Amino acid sequence: MKTTALYLFICISLMMAGCKKYLEKEPDNRAKLTDPKKVSQLLASAYPLGSYMAFNEAMSDNAGDKGTGTIDPTNRDPYYFETVSNSDQDSPDNYWFACYNAIAACNEALQACNSAPDPENYQDQKGEALVARAYAHFMLVTLYSKPYNPTTSSSDPGIPYVTEPETTVIKLYDRKTVAYVYEQIEKDLLEGLPLITDDSYTVPRYHFNEAAANAFAARFYLYKKDYAKAVQYASTSIPVFLPNLRPWNTTYIATGINNLPAEYQKTTEPANLLLVTCVSIYNYGLNYATYRYALTTTIKDEILNTSIAVTGGAWALDLGTFVGSQKNPAIPKLNYTDFALANPTANYGLPYGTISLFTTEEVLFNKAEANAYLGNYDAAIADLNTYMSTRLLNVTPGNLPAGNTITQSKVTAHYGNSLNVQDALVRYILELKRAEFIHEGMRWFDVLRYSIPISHDLIGSGDVVTGTITIGPDDKLRLLKLPDQVKLSGINDLNR
Amino acid sequence: MSFRGTDFQYFRQGKHKWALLFALTFFSAVFSINSSYAVPFQDTAGIKVNGKVTDLEEGAPLAGVSVQNMRTRRGTVTNAAGNYSIDAAIGDSIRFSFAGKLPKTVLYTGQASINIELTKSEGALGEVIITGFQNLDKKKFSGASASLKASEVKIDGLPDVSKMLEGRVAGVSIQNVSSTFGAAPKIRIRGATSINGENKPLWVVDGVVLEDLVNISNDQLSSGDPTTLLGSSVAGINVNDIESFDILKDAAATALYGARAMNGVVVITTKKGRAGRHVISYTGNFSTQFKPLYTDYNIMNSVQQMSVLSELDRKGWLTTNILSSGDYGVYGKYYDLVNTVQPDGSFAIANTPEAKRDYLLRYAKANTDWFDILFRQSFVQEHSLSISSGTDKLQSFFSTSFYNDNGWTVADNVKRYTLNFRNNYNISDKLNVGFLTTASYRQQQAPGTVSRNANVVTGGFERDFDINPFSFALNTNRTLTAYDDQGQRENFTRNFAPFNILTELENNRIKLNVIDLKLQGEASYKFTKQLRYEFIGAIRYVRSTQEHEVTENSNMANAYRAASTAEIRRNNRFLYQDPENPSAEKVVVLPYGGFYNRQEDQLLNFDVRNSLNYVNTFAEKHDVNLLLGQQLKYSDRQRFNNTGYGYQYDNGGVATPDFRILKQNIEQNFPYYGMTKLYDRFAAFYFNAQYTYNSKYNLYATVRYDGSNQLGSSRTARWLPTWSFGGAWNVNDENFMKNIKWINYLKLRASYGLTASLGPATNSNIILRNQNIHRPFASDIETIIYIANLANTELTWEKNYTTNIGVDFGFLNNRLSSSIDVYERNSFDLITLIKTSGIGGESLKAGNYADMTSHGAEILLSGKIIDKKTWGWKSTITAGYNETKITRAEYLPQIFDLVKAEGGNLKDYPVNGLFSIRYSGLDPNSGIPQFLNEKGEVSPAVYMQSDSVKNLKFEGSVDPKLTGGFNNTFTYKAFSLNIFVTFQAGNKIRLYPAFKNSYSEWDATPKEFYDRWLMPGDQRTSNVPSIMDYYYAVLTNNATSAYPYNNYNYSTERVAKGDFIRLKTVSLSYQLPETFIKKSGFLKTTALSVAVINPWLIYSDKKLQGQDPEFFNAGGVAQPLQRQITLSLKAGL
Repeated sequence: MKTTALYLFICISLMMAGCKKYLEKEPDNRAKLTDPKKVSQLLASAYPLGSYMAFNEAMSDNAGDKGTGTIDPTNRDPYYFETVSNSDQDSPDNYWFACYNAIAACNEALQACNSAPDPENYQDQKGEALVARAYAHFMLVTLYSKPYNPTTSSSDPGIPYVTEPETTVIKLYDRKTVAYVYEQIEKDLLEGLPLITDDSYTVPRYHFNEAAANAFAARFYLYKKDYAKAVQYASTSIPVFLPNLRPWNTTYIATGINNLPAEYQKTTEPANLLLVTCVSIYNYGLNYATYRYALTTTIKDEILNTSIAVTGGAWALDLGTFVGSQKNPAIPKLNYTDFALANPTANYGLPYGTISLFTTEEVLFNKAEANAYLGNYDAAIADLNTYMSTRLLNVTPGNLPAGNTITQSKVTAHYGNSLNVQDALVRYILELKRAEFIHEGMRWFDVLRYSIPISHDLIGSGDVVTGTITIGPDDKLRLLKLPDQVKLSGINDLNR
Repeated sequence: MSFRGTDFQYFRQGKHKWALLFALTFFSAVFSINSSYAVPFQDTAGIKVNGKVTDLEEGAPLAGVSVQNMRTRRGTVTNAAGNYSIDAAIGDSIRFSFAGKLPKTVLYTGQASINIELTKSEGALGEVIITGFQNLDKKKFSGASASLKASEVKIDGLPDVSKMLEGRVAGVSIQNVSSTFGAAPKIRIRGATSINGENKPLWVVDGVVLEDLVNISNDQLSSGDPTTLLGSSVAGINVNDIESFDILKDAAATALYGARAMNGVVVITTKKGRAGRHVISYTGNFSTQFKPLYTDYNIMNSVQQMSVLSELDRKGWLTTNILSSGDYGVYGKYYDLVNTVQPDGSFAIANTPEAKRDYLLRYAKANTDWFDILFRQSFVQEHSLSISSGTDKLQSFFSTSFYNDNGWTVADNVKRYTLNFRNNYNISDKLNVGFLTTASYRQQQAPGTVSRNANVVTGGFERDFDINPFSFALNTNRTLTAYDDQGQRENFTRNFAPFNILTELENNRIKLNVIDLKLQGEASYKFTKQLRYEFIGAIRYVRSTQEHEVTENSNMANAYRAASTAEIRRNNRFLYQDPENPSAEKVVVLPYGGFYNRQEDQLLNFDVRNSLNYVNTFAEKHDVNLLLGQQLKYSDRQRFNNTGYGYQYDNGGVATPDFRILKQNIEQNFPYYGMTKLYDRFAAFYFNAQYTYNSKYNLYATVRYDGSNQLGSSRTARWLPTWSFGGAWNVNDENFMKNIKWINYLKLRASYGLTASLGPATNSNIILRNQNIHRPFASDIETIIYIANLANTELTWEKNYTTNIGVDFGFLNNRLSSSIDVYERNSFDLITLIKTSGIGGESLKAGNYADMTSHGAEILLSGKIIDKKTWGWKSTITAGYNETKITRAEYLPQIFDLVKAEGGNLKDYPVNGLFSIRYSGLDPNSGIPQFLNEKGEVSPAVYMQSDSVKNLKFEGSVDPKLTGGFNNTFTYKAFSLNIFVTFQAGNKIRLYPAFKNSYSEWDATPKEFYDRWLMPGDQRTSNVPSIMDYYYAVLTNNATSAYPYNNYNYSTERVAKGDFIRLKTVSLSYQLPETFIKKSGFLKTTALSVAVINPWLIYSDKKLQGQDPEFFNAGGVAQPLQRQITLSLKAGL
């Protein structure tokens, strides 16, 4: 009896010990970050899978009320500076969540890099994770907090800067300040940037490649008003602009308006430094032009005709496209063929769009703007001339005729000689940039940085203006409202 | 499992006799201090009395009967052949007792042998509860449970045991959501316990948990998807092999299943071999099922339908535009024929109003009976043969069965073969081993179908290529014909290709093969008389292959080839558009052949259990039973699927895939094959103690410690202790009750305990998954890893506390017996979705953030109303009442989640509550329905994805509150008539979604359309919306994306009560007279019976208009309850 009990005891103890291993088996074939390659795969989800274009564009001065057109809350509500009522695709809430999803992937990847027995083999991954984490936070702080200002940023509320994986259902976070967020972004960026290498990617244009990471650094330092660094990183990103600009006045014109949208966001287009493909009705380019609160013919003419006055000539951008009606002008740049069916035989599914997060053109403009602030007017103007040589109809890229060349005097004259060279140049750069990025939401970032006032007319029947929404330079409606749910994490200042 | 009956060996072999007697003496000496029966001296010089104990009802020997000399207090038990031997002196009383039988005491007067027949003790208290871990005397048991003999609940002609329990057990609700073979009914023991997790009970067969081949969620159960055919794990069990069912309901009863017992347990015990002569039984069931009739359903005839079609025509729906929609019937065919030039130069139909009228008249008169065309009077046969035999050393049971259903519809049939082989060996006095092998093989054919998809845009479900005969008959209007004037099959057009339902059913089918094998071993070893070791181990392997064969002649394959005109090429969504060239025309990518789609599911399951059981009685008064054990379980599941393109069935089976169809799918991120694996690991330790004082006061307690890998690999979440305790008081054994003669027994019970279940979340550690990320061009697609769920270190099991109080009693010589239970259940830590700030990277998380309560009562009342020698009437009523309420749920669902037919979950409402959009009249100008929408405005548009649900109306729960059955058995001599009625009440049902923004020529409309809005003013008298005008539809669709008719389907107008009373079965059986049997020379027993199943739905809500309140018409492979008549023959050799 005693020996039996002893045997039983031994058996049970052995079983208990065996159980630990036995119960460690994962319940399904989920992934484990066991080698650098797997961490790289995880980092493919370190980019916000959401579009900011719909609300950015509707809030900006690129949008007007057509009086008729497709009504969509993600288009209508931002135009009225109201809070978008849903958190579906293209809504600000959706973008907020997409950014933090990307950040979670970065943090998980960084944890894997740091806890690996051979961290030296994870340097490429660490670089991408740090830069991607900095990027997502940077986009959030830009949209949800006041623009960077050395004097007030240390007290302006920022956005939660997350550096470790969340392991509880509800965790408390703190907004801290804009200055703090910028510090963290800079820290991550400077640590990650040297580690980035193009060799580690299979599809580099969908990851922070060297050009894209430096383009991000250039944008960051420009927004931080550290112009010397902005120029430095812009030059590293794209040492020579001409071959890397979109060939609007050559290849694009030849492609034709029906096939151009599919070409515009291809990885083979050198101007696309960083791409992301995500679910978006806006970027699935069928609706963006028919939205009621969008680019009107008046605004289109204002944007294109004013900016072209300095050089003369005609924009190659303006192919005279309209979608559905003459009220819906469009530049054919958003791909409308990317529709993912719910299953192979379904007649419904999800619309996808591809977004160029960084382009050669933006690097060029950021560099020129920084150069203008540094007093390097000639350098800035030289880059703008390179740009215009690819945008004016019937011009050979790189060979801008003398009559179309931008000069300091032409720029100051453009503003009735009321501005000094620096101010005139910066304003002109913003004008060109506005034209280049029509539909793409970039204008809103400049509206924020320069506190440009916005006035949105409301059109009633018979094209009568029935009201105007005016947003002044300090209006708190300029900042997006944080999603209501963030209260669950102890954040009560929702901006609005 | 019984390993009793070996004590006899001591005596026969004589070797250990003295040792045993010594032991007995020793124990009685030690523990008899307080005993009032203390024996003054020992008389060892008695006479040896031999005999045999048999079961009166079954005539078979009874093993394990306890035989005791009341004077000497010495006892023995009968062996496997029912034999015993005991010392006795003349004048001694010998008592024979056995759990479940009435004890008998006989005076020994010097007979040579005493042969005893024990009869079953009437009333619930005499029974044995088989928990799968233990066999317990119900008298001592404090939990809530019900035991059923298979012979009493069996419905001849039903092959699936899960469907037989309906109405038999108080508190067990069974809804037959589909009657297709293999589809599981919706079973709830005491209602729902979980909000998002499983609510189905645990099935246990012969002590081993029956794992499901595929886990089918609550909603999937009623989806009609082909996977539901694998939903019922018990479909492979031969009904005739089953001895009994035990339904364990409360925490005390289910405690030994610990962390999987939250939803209750159904224990099936199969038959065993018995020592004695060979018993050969044959059962033959011959059934036929009746075709459904249009009179039972609410569908217009062809004349009425033609008038609806002509309104559609007038309103602009049936212009030549329908030719580009791909689906057209009578009108589309007309337009085709008007444009067809015959060889003689004339048109097939002249373009004149007269010719058109003549053409349409034929179809208006057609009145096609789709039920008659697609259904048939089936013939179902089931043969089952079993042989039971054995000796003291070996008992064996063998059975085999064959079930063949040639199909109720032209598209389905089933064959099932089962084998069951069970041997028990008594190797020595101490060691017993047993082996059990079961095998079943199923071959089934079903109409070809693909999974349904939820369309969140319109808020409905869609299924492509649905050819389920039942839903086809209900949804296809009766003007369409299957045959033309010449008797040839007539085609109409679906997906731009010719379609005839009969041709399609021949060319598009699913073949299902399921093989289920189980090998089980059992062993027990007696260390001492009190201490026993038991082992049980089983390995089970199940494999199913589902072949979806779509031949080149099917509409589904031809749809991929319809490209005859530029118009069709533009509109046919089955053609391929090259993304590199968006302005090019679409092209055919399935030039030859059809599809061969294959899906395979596999399950490998091990289950091993070791336990020590100690049973002893101290001082006659203190009964102790202790059980200590350990369990290990292991299941691996695998699912594989493959789509084969371009298989040529009629052309020697050549596969000719076009590379572009693969390119198309890969670009769309639909790999043409896939494989997933699931791993389930489970370990547990358990301890159970029972104590009975003076056979009056009983205590019962269980502790169990479970570990599972299902929560993910975190160590903290993995283990969970559960426990329960209970007590029972046998009041009738008290002295003060002795004089109350009319009370035969009275027992009070109470129990309390914690049980648990694994919820639907597995992220105690982070869950990373692989996927091919969506990119517009195939060359850019990368395999990536994404975060499916963040870690939740607080994740734990779903749990509940159950309190149960019950009383069992028998009155008037047990002619009236009853069992009543009330319970309260507090479920907590239930998994629900919860919105979070999203800052951690997941805005909607699954966590233990919901609680619910439920309470209910159950009653079982059984009475012998007439109990005469030649005739009798026995009646049993069961009823169970259950109400649930969600007390905490952080997640706010969307409107569509709440209005769908399966119901949704909202705080302060029951689980699976059904909500409706408030209907607020028809628009006076257009007859379009209007509603109170999410913003509180009256509008035709309701945003189904809104989470503003305050304007919805709560209708009731989808799950019935009251369920039960009423069983009556009348006997007269050799005749027995059984009438069984089931009922349920207190739930609401969503009516069939019959209304649409637009109707095609195919649609059959319900008779409500008679009363539809036709002109302004009708809104005062009618609540049936108009048929929308085409121009109006185009206008409103563009401006508002509203789906008013779809909203109407989910409105307060389209709800009915789920209450019903159903005459479930009527059966008449006749036992052939002895004289006849004797003449035959070899027959022992013969019985004939006729049973009618589901003959009459006595009561249901009139609003249902024929819709079965139990059935979800989801298309796919779903079928409603059939009316069936069965002739059954039972013979014993």
